[in-house]
Amino acid sequence: MDFEEYASARGQELVRLGFTVSGDYQRAEDLAQIALMQAFRSWRKVQKADDPHTYVRRILINSYLSMTRRRSFTEAPAAEIDTDHTVPDPATDIVNSDDLWRALATLSARERVVLVLRYYQDMDDRTIADLLGIKPSSVRATASRALAALRKTRQSHRVDERLP
Amino acid sequence: MSKTELEEDLRATFERAAASVPLAPDLAGRATTGVRQAQRRTWIASGAAAAAIAVVAGVGFSLNHGSTSPPPTPVASKPTAAVTTAAVTTAQALAGTWRPVKLNGFTTLKVGRPDDPTLTFRSDGTWTGSDGCNSLAGTFTIGQRGEFTSHADGQRLIECGNVPHTAVLAAARRISTDQATLRFYAGDGREVAIYARTR
Repeated sequence: MDFEEYASARGQELVRLGFTVSGDYQRAEDLAQIALMQAFRSWRKVQKADDPHTYVRRILINSYLSMTRRRSFTEAPAAEIDTDHTVPDPATDIVNSDDLWRALATLSARERVVLVLRYYQDMDDRTIADLLGIKPSSVRATASRALAALRKTRQSHRVDERLP
Repeated sequence: MSKTELEEDLRATFERAAASVPLAPDLAGRATTGVRQAQRRTWIASGAAAAAIAVVAGVGFSLNHGSTSPPPTPVASKPTAAVTTAAVTTAQALAGTWRPVKLNGFTTLKVGRPDDPTLTFRSDGTWTGSDGCNSLAGTFTIGQRGEFTSHADGQRLIECGNVPHTAVLAAARRISTDQATLRFYAGDGREVAIYARTR
């Protein structure tokens, strides 16, 4: 499979993966493009990997985690918001109503990535550990912590709904 | 809520979110074009660097081997005109790396980007930078009273809420700077942007 065939077949999957980890469509497309550009630069090496798609997904995930470690990575709104020039995100309406989607935004980047790889990409803990360069026990601990946080958030929301 | 129920909800939420993502057009073309253009820029830069080294080496060779022509006048000798002195001084004051603090009409400076969106000016009249995810480069001139012109040869390849440095530089007709702050002004005197020195 040459690069163009791979990108045509799996590119959109990468954008979706980028969206599930970042929650931002613009960033998802950038992450997919960064991953594809890096893969294209070393395509021979990517092709030789056991699973080229996992190799490219690793690039995307690591790019996202590197991005979140930067000091400038914030979602704080600017002081002067020009609503006339904001670009509507077509994904926003669909997912905004989902409490669980909102709760995911409160997790750390690594916790969210682990959950996405486990429950969206259906990877086992060993594969996730290999992809992130950590131990399987760390994956289990991170996932457990993230699930506990989500459960707590959902329970507190349900209590809030019962209040007058 | 049981763990299994939460896990099922998570799967459904991720699937729903992923399904909502609009189709991104021509990802393969954009990736290959971006890499090839970056490689072309690298080749051009490498060629220019090689040519410069060859020129310097040639000059050094001729000086060391008894060239009959008179030695070149030292560049840093007495300035020949007040304009030259002022321009060099101002360019030196501008030299360094600056981060955007306020750009008129641009409201999403604080959004996270792959790279820090900075501008670096050098006293040789060149500038480089990043709009957050693309490398930028160009040249600039500074006049006696802060008159400013610039040329950009960068190209935007990746979208990331790109900081419009090139638009600021294109609109700027005058600059003022102190140790910590750099201000760009349009031709009608309006302030276009404020940058702060990073180092």
